[in-house]
Amino acid sequence: MAAAIIEEISEFLQKGRAKNVKKLVEEALAQGIDAQEILNEGLLSGMMIVGGKFKRNEVFVPEVLVAARAMNAGVAILEPHLVAAGNEPMGKAVIGTVKGDLHDIGKNLVAMMMKAAGFEVYDLGVDVEAETFVEKAEEVGADVIGMSALLTTTMPNMQSVIDALNAKGVREKYIVMIGGAPVTESFKEQIGADYYTADATSAAEVAKAAVEAKKA
Amino acid sequence: MMEQFFEIDGFCVNINQKSVFAIIDCYEDSPVYEAIVDEYEEIHEEMLALAKPVGILGFGRLPKELETEEYKENTPVIYAFTSIGNGIKERSTQAFDDGDYVKGMLCDAMADDALFSMEERLIEVLTEVCRARHVGIRRRLEAPQDIPMIAQRIAWEYLELEKRFGIGITEGFMLDPVKSSCQIFILTEDEKTFRASHDCRKCARLDCKMRNIPPTEITVKRGSESRTVTLIDGESLMDLLLREGYYISAVCGGRGRCGKCGVQILEGFCQPSAADRAFYQPEELKAGWRLSCECYPTDDLVVAFDLADESEIVVPDLEEEPQGTGNCAGDAADAAADGTAASYQAAIDIGTTTIAIQLYEEGREAPVHTVTMINGQRTFGADVITRIQASVEGKKEQLQKIIRTDLIRGLEKLMGEAQVHPDRLKKIVIACNTTMSHLLMGYPCDSLGVYPFTPVNIGLIRGTSEEILGSSSLDAEVVILPGISTYVGGDITAGLYACGFAQNGEISLLIDLGTNGEMAIGNRERILTTSTAAGPAFEGGNISWGTGSIPGAICSVTIEEETAHVSTIQNKTATGICGTGVVEAVSELVKEGLVDETGLLDEDYFDDGFPLAKTADGQTIVFTQKDVREIQLAKAAIRAGIETLTARYGITKEKIGTVYLAGGFGFKLDCEKAIAIGMLPEEFRDRVRAIGNSSLQGAARFLKDPDGESVLLGLAAISEEIALSTDPDFNAWYMDSMMFEEEKI
Repeated sequence: MAAAIIEEISEFLQKGRAKNVKKLVEEALAQGIDAQEILNEGLLSGMMIVGGKFKRNEVFVPEVLVAARAMNAGVAILEPHLVAAGNEPMGKAVIGTVKGDLHDIGKNLVAMMMKAAGFEVYDLGVDVEAETFVEKAEEVGADVIGMSALLTTTMPNMQSVIDALNAKGVREKYIVMIGGAPVTESFKEQIGADYYTADATSAAEVAKAAVEAKKA
Repeated sequence: MMEQFFEIDGFCVNINQKSVFAIIDCYEDSPVYEAIVDEYEEIHEEMLALAKPVGILGFGRLPKELETEEYKENTPVIYAFTSIGNGIKERSTQAFDDGDYVKGMLCDAMADDALFSMEERLIEVLTEVCRARHVGIRRRLEAPQDIPMIAQRIAWEYLELEKRFGIGITEGFMLDPVKSSCQIFILTEDEKTFRASHDCRKCARLDCKMRNIPPTEITVKRGSESRTVTLIDGESLMDLLLREGYYISAVCGGRGRCGKCGVQILEGFCQPSAADRAFYQPEELKAGWRLSCECYPTDDLVVAFDLADESEIVVPDLEEEPQGTGNCAGDAADAAADGTAASYQAAIDIGTTTIAIQLYEEGREAPVHTVTMINGQRTFGADVITRIQASVEGKKEQLQKIIRTDLIRGLEKLMGEAQVHPDRLKKIVIACNTTMSHLLMGYPCDSLGVYPFTPVNIGLIRGTSEEILGSSSLDAEVVILPGISTYVGGDITAGLYACGFAQNGEISLLIDLGTNGEMAIGNRERILTTSTAAGPAFEGGNISWGTGSIPGAICSVTIEEETAHVSTIQNKTATGICGTGVVEAVSELVKEGLVDETGLLDEDYFDDGFPLAKTADGQTIVFTQKDVREIQLAKAAIRAGIETLTARYGITKEKIGTVYLAGGFGFKLDCEKAIAIGMLPEEFRDRVRAIGNSSLQGAARFLKDPDGESVLLGLAAISEEIALSTDPDFNAWYMDSMMFEEEKI
């Protein structure tokens, strides 16, 4: 019974049906199913299925967005229960677009997928100073620092963030991930980041796997 | 002092649902389509209200930092800036923060589309200010695809965007608000050039959803004439030029081998092909020279197309015209004056290379006027085989259109120059080879090129000018003369008819020294015909400096002490070498021992060729080893054809009464030199009669001969064709005739 309703939540979420998702989440809670289970097995897993389809070009951005909106509707209901139960997120991520760069769509999609992967996401916005990345990560005890840059003129600022981490001697505490149109795997090597991913879903998957490996 | 800066107002901001949905990849078949449409409709008005469009243009100069090889420092430019403001984008960011991803994404796309919609007004104002200053736009440059990002900072400073509109700039040179756009337009004094629109082809954002590859525009300049044409996808520059009715000499059929279709790119860039690198020196490549057949433009180009114009071909196939055009115009006028307007008739020879058209007044012997022109199909290859290939490869309609256009233009020119009204043209007789008649009639050529080489129709064809020439401007009966086989066509039947083969008891030989090298032997009883595929070498094809019989073509060569003395058609400065010049050059080179009996060119000239003359621009016209080889093949084919045909007919060469040498080439040929290189046998000395264009003469005779049809059909009936390619004697003769035998020199 429990499995059936969670399966249904996942399916409605994949179709982007926010109202149905909300209703079923409430029902599930009423049935006494654990909020964490509803979140992980219903909402997040459903969202990761959509993310996977997006990565394989089976669906486009709108389907993902609508699903994510439905996910958020469900999460909003679960949140008080999760807080009350003292549930920990799967990890914490600080993300932003680097100094000098105002592009945000790619970064926003990564933030969205990270949330779907169970991360608590601290989105610093655009044109973010290197120090701000470091301070926020230290403050919240982040696992992941994610940076976006869409211009060759702003890519070097990813290096500045890593330099700032090194200067503070905290580089090893974080999984540093980078992305954006001009960014490449070799650029990642060059600046000493940990991961480069080409799309939002991959970013979330890689972040999740890296955090799990680190915590294990 | 002239106004420097122009703030733009009157923007009409639009947000188009279709473009927005395209930007975010939302399609009608998506299960979430309706949901997105609802969201879009809900926020559309709000977003429009949030748009705060601003824009400015400013005349300035290109600074040192942005100098390129193409555009130097201080080049006059216009800096342009437009922005939709920050309102819509702020809503997007807010929505993402709230977890309303759909709205966030939609707002962002709507901001993009609103910004794009400002382009129209920008271009409008840009046009106005350029007109006022009498300047045009050569290029639109945008960062980062065309110019470095710092250009945005330069424009921002120059246009004082912060002071004017409160626009910020980041250390990565991004404008803030992010939904802003900045361009630098390179100016030109040529007011007619106006390439101000965004060029998606050059844009680095390959995954941009708004990517819209506009058609490539090619501007063709020829002398003072200039025409802009839109390139069709996948088309080469040559295809485009042909489609537009330009004539290009391309004897290789556009395969990048003959090097004769070069054009010069004046503006824009096209990557040189391997063939370009083979034909052009690095300086020439840098100057924009490209072979049009191998040039596939991806950029708007301005090309100069000013090749040696072979359409001016001089076809020495007729004796001097007895009357000048002034004279005949007088005749026509007289006839009209006495109320009995004379009827006119035209004889046409469609050669593979050239077309000749002759006008006759009914009842008069001498032609009124003649025009000759290049067969526009030549671009598809110099010989019938390449034309057949082109037709089979899907160019059938195009080839038909070209020849019809050529004929109509030729007829118009003919009558225009003779001052005869087209209504008075009542009859047209066409003689041509089988391939040419198939192409004109639009018959499929598939069977012409493969064994057993069956033609669709080689009978006498009658029709109206509308049916055959596709023109309603004329109202004349058209006749195409009958042929004998696929390889011996109506032009040869016409030649036999003109030379009196239908009446003569004496055995005669007719040799057409054209590309196909047809020949016929016989008398009124029996005729044997064949075709030797001599190739285009006698018409200047496949020869390094080969050209048609145009003014300036070298037509006569003597060599003394390794120095060439040449004369050219109409004594113009040398431009190339025509068929007769080719034979003369070879014969002189052999005579001087500069080419040995095997055809090997002296080692001093082996690499660069033997110099014959200089062109107006100082290039050396040479005759190369490869050219000698081409002639060896061609002359061997003719000679072997003569020998085989004579033997098959069962006669010795001494018994042949008259040898008619037909074709433009044949007319001016020095028989001694043809014998010297072994193309014609010794026995023919003093028996050769150069008759010029026998095909045209046959067509003309048919106009006046009431029995023409039965005579021609009779000739076709008594003619039999032999195939040479499989004939062992022909092959033996062919090999033997390849050499230059010393005793004959």
